[in-house]
Amino acid sequence: MNLEARWHTLHGWLGTFAKRAAALFCMLSLIGCSGVQSALDPAGGDASRIYWLTVIMTVGGTLIFLGVTSLLLYAIFAPPERRAWLGTRGTIVYGGLAFPIVTLSALLPYGLIVMRDTDVPQEGALPIEVIGEQYWWRVRYPADGRQTEFSTANEIVVPVGRSIAVSVTSADVIHSFWIPNFGGKIDMIPGRINRINFTAERPGVYRGVCAEFCGDQHARMAFDVIALEPEAFEAWRTEQAKPAREPEIPLLARGRELFRVGGCGSCHAVRGTEASGQFGPDLTHVGSRRTIGAGQFPNNIGTLAGWIANTQHIKPGVRMPSYGSLSGEDLRALAGYMESLK
Amino acid sequence: MSGRRTGQVLLMVAGLIAWAVQFTIIYAVTSTLCGRGWADAAFLGFEIVPMTIVSATLVTFSATLLAAVWSFRNHRRKGEQPVSGADSFMNHVATLINGLSLVIILWHGISAFILPACA
Repeated sequence: MNLEARWHTLHGWLGTFAKRAAALFCMLSLIGCSGVQSALDPAGGDASRIYWLTVIMTVGGTLIFLGVTSLLLYAIFAPPERRAWLGTRGTIVYGGLAFPIVTLSALLPYGLIVMRDTDVPQEGALPIEVIGEQYWWRVRYPADGRQTEFSTANEIVVPVGRSIAVSVTSADVIHSFWIPNFGGKIDMIPGRINRINFTAERPGVYRGVCAEFCGDQHARMAFDVIALEPEAFEAWRTEQAKPAREPEIPLLARGRELFRVGGCGSCHAVRGTEASGQFGPDLTHVGSRRTIGAGQFPNNIGTLAGWIANTQHIKPGVRMPSYGSLSGEDLRALAGYMESLK
Repeated sequence: MSGRRTGQVLLMVAGLIAWAVQFTIIYAVTSTLCGRGWADAAFLGFEIVPMTIVSATLVTFSATLLAAVWSFRNHRRKGEQPVSGADSFMNHVATLINGLSLVIILWHGISAFILPACA
């Protein structure tokens, strides 16, 4: 093959590679545009305002960057007689002074208005308390009208259309509470209570994360956010306020007994039983949650058993020790009991 | 430095000084009152925080406007009598800096009309 033929082959190969790389890049970029954890898929008014501010800033900034870069290249490569206008007083005054002043004068009030209208406390908001702990989320629903107080973990359920007032703090180090689909983030600081407000505008399952590095397992500190229609939310809340259900079959009763004699109740609470520990997550209705391990695995008997037996292998550094000494039968019973706590 | 040159330099930085004064007053009053929980404190029926921002903006804007007009007149006067290259440059820069300072002082003052006192 002569040199020219080789060049054509290489040129063709490079062209194909560039097209495929561009397509892959676009696809990868678009992956972040929707889903359970995306600020580019707003599901609330605050998130929508932040989204449009981002779009305007990004598109505007890109266009200005391209314009300035084009002018720079023109100034370098165009013939002197054609590029002379770039050095005139008018170009500098209008392009270098007037344009930035007009652009920023428009953006500043817009940004301030977005700030003013975001995270505004509303009358009749549903109060929720969230406490960040290494590496999970304690969630409390204070008494509200006829509904009684209860605690849950790693899952926040909210009604669609009602403002939510979240009070956050931390039990150990600084964490940050962020549900990208619903709005901005707020720091969780030990000894201080911060507040953030948002409203879910469409039902669905979303994901929140810790947005402040808080230790080894920071990246595995997530939570589910489930937005329900108001009636479904009230039904969920009524169920959550109830004590744990009694085991229905001997295997589950054996699981409950293992939970008792194993000392699990010194760290975990299961309302309706003698387990009243406050150190770890409340497990009264752990079986009803979508995930375990702070958003790490789907919640089923297999993942529950794996978590109990290999906690430190799955998520090294958490406070719960691994219970790998349990026999297979005991592990099935204990995990089955956990799963039955709907 | 001669007295005339000192005056030129002061005129050149007048807008920046006015901006710094506005900045200092706004931040000192806002952070003190908001930090002490006096966001709604009022004087003669006006809330102190927004009133301070508006007052500081009006005073510093007026001062800068005077400096801008003065430096602009000096700049325009160059055609009537011969001036040195340094004088011409300083008058030109003074006009520019004071003009830009007017814009920045306005930008700072806008927040009083949009945001709550202690947002």
